[in-house]
Amino acid sequence: MLARLISKWPYLIMAVLLIVLILLPFDWFPGKYTTLMIFIGISTMVTVGLCLLMGYTGQVSLGQAAFFGCGAYISGVFSKYYSVNPWLAMLIAAAVTGVFAYVIGYPILRLRGNYLALATLAIGVIVWIILRNEGPGGPDGFSGIPALSIGGFAFDTSFKRYFLVWGFCLATLFISQNIVRSRSGRALRAIHGSEAAAESIGINVAQFKVKIFVLSAVYASLAGSLFAHHLRHISPQTFDAMASVKLVVMAVIGGLASVWGAIFGAGTTRLLSDEILVRYHVLSGWDIPIYGLILVLVMIFMPQGLFVALRSASYWLRYNWRELPSITKGIYERKVLRLRSGGVQS
Amino acid sequence: MSGTILETRGLTKAFGGLVALNDVDISVEAGKITAIIGPNGAGKTTFFNTIAGAYRPTSGDIIFNGETMKRTPWYAKAIPPRLRQKIFAERLQQYIPAHRRTTLGIARTFQNVLLFGSMTALENIMAGQHPRSRYGFFSAALKLPRARREEERISLNAMKYLNMVGLGTYAGQNALSLPLGQQKLLAIARALATEPQLLLLDEPGAGLNTLEKRELSELIHRIKELGTSIILVEHDMPLVMGIAEWIIVLDSGRKIAEGTASQIQKDERVIAAYLGEETD
Repeated sequence: MLARLISKWPYLIMAVLLIVLILLPFDWFPGKYTTLMIFIGISTMVTVGLCLLMGYTGQVSLGQAAFFGCGAYISGVFSKYYSVNPWLAMLIAAAVTGVFAYVIGYPILRLRGNYLALATLAIGVIVWIILRNEGPGGPDGFSGIPALSIGGFAFDTSFKRYFLVWGFCLATLFISQNIVRSRSGRALRAIHGSEAAAESIGINVAQFKVKIFVLSAVYASLAGSLFAHHLRHISPQTFDAMASVKLVVMAVIGGLASVWGAIFGAGTTRLLSDEILVRYHVLSGWDIPIYGLILVLVMIFMPQGLFVALRSASYWLRYNWRELPSITKGIYERKVLRLRSGGVQS
Repeated sequence: MSGTILETRGLTKAFGGLVALNDVDISVEAGKITAIIGPNGAGKTTFFNTIAGAYRPTSGDIIFNGETMKRTPWYAKAIPPRLRQKIFAERLQQYIPAHRRTTLGIARTFQNVLLFGSMTALENIMAGQHPRSRYGFFSAALKLPRARREEERISLNAMKYLNMVGLGTYAGQNALSLPLGQQKLLAIARALATEPQLLLLDEPGAGLNTLEKRELSELIHRIKELGTSIILVEHDMPLVMGIAEWIIVLDSGRKIAEGTASQIQKDERVIAAYLGEETD
């Protein structure tokens, strides 16, 4: 019975998580995590794009916050100042950001490794400066962005927006999962493996890189639009270079080679930055070194990401759980022995 | 099949001052196994890379199936030909990129195998079906019926090629966990999965033991029977003499001889090139 239950762990965990995800925003659910979860959902959307780009295709982007910002600003400006329907504004934002990503991606994706990282970082900084200097409200940003609505149904409370954001987020995840397991997904992984070999089997490497770069930018842009229509106030500091680094941290923690890890990566990072570090002021201002430390530790000890490491640990547990008592007993006994011998000597 | 499948005219490739290929004219007959041999540094691999499109030739032309690999870009067409020749010479000339050549029917393997490490053996070959399948991000993202149909066809074909090289039982294994001999076979299967008319094998026998080499030459014969022309670069003379129907000898970037195995073995220039003697 227990064995069967444990062998079904992944599904069980998935089911429980899904139920929790649905019940979480209700008032009677313990804890007030609705707002946090909305941010996690939005970050997840950007992170999934980064996973496809970095984990599957092997192309680094340190400027993802720029596309996030483009989505937020274009959507906000159109719906507020030109009274465009917010949904249409969102589409316009995604289209403009996609074209922008295509135009810059075409030349810079010829770069490799650190050079590509630097170029994308530069794009991020440039976009941030443009938003700060030319965007409405300058460095303070602007508010009064209308909320999204369908017919007469407005997404005017966090409760409603929670479902909107997570609907989008899960859709992105499913789409990405499908892409990863398709002909295009294989092409992306082939490019990661060896560009020369990918060319040799007829994959247009340059074109695929640009395509996936555009896709990740569109994801980021959609997330940005949701962000703008959720908070209804945006300011450029949300989209600075540090935000890009944070997104990379999320992707790395989530495990670059796993689409579903993106939720996990975005979740832990957001929890750390929005909840723990803010609530307990102990570490305020220390978030940058902490992210750096996490990045370094994960890269050294779990290069496949925390999510993948935990997953393999759970697999290990599934096959070895019978021996677990004896293993722990062994560890315990060794400890007791050591303590005892220490006691005798002193 | 008869006629020429591949022809080069005055093919030259220079890396700065080093001329790796110097005015090479060859023609390869369709449906035959042709070997390219030559001492180290003769330009064999450069020749391969130039044909497969990894290198851009400095000058000269490659003709595959009667079709030139040269392309004149639109901005070059805007300049009158005579003026273009005077100012730019060959510098504006473009050649069809490597991935397009694979679609046209030239496939290759690499000296250092270059399998995709993050994929299983089967997935490696499924990736090889790329140019022979058509569905993009959109149908993949929504799992449209077309994507499903194509995916089914791709995996069936891939299995066929995997069985052809005798690795069917290793379908689910990570490609890089296989021993070198099988990795080499897998790489050949991946190239075959692009359904080429011309297969370029870069040192297929390197690092294989005698038994594996025998299997390899059998496989090459089977590929030939499918109607695929084969060009191989190889150092192992017994293997080359055993399977090649036509041999081309390169030495320091020039073609010095060509002929059947027995003709090549008697050719004085070839012996000189290998043993380092003066011809006259």
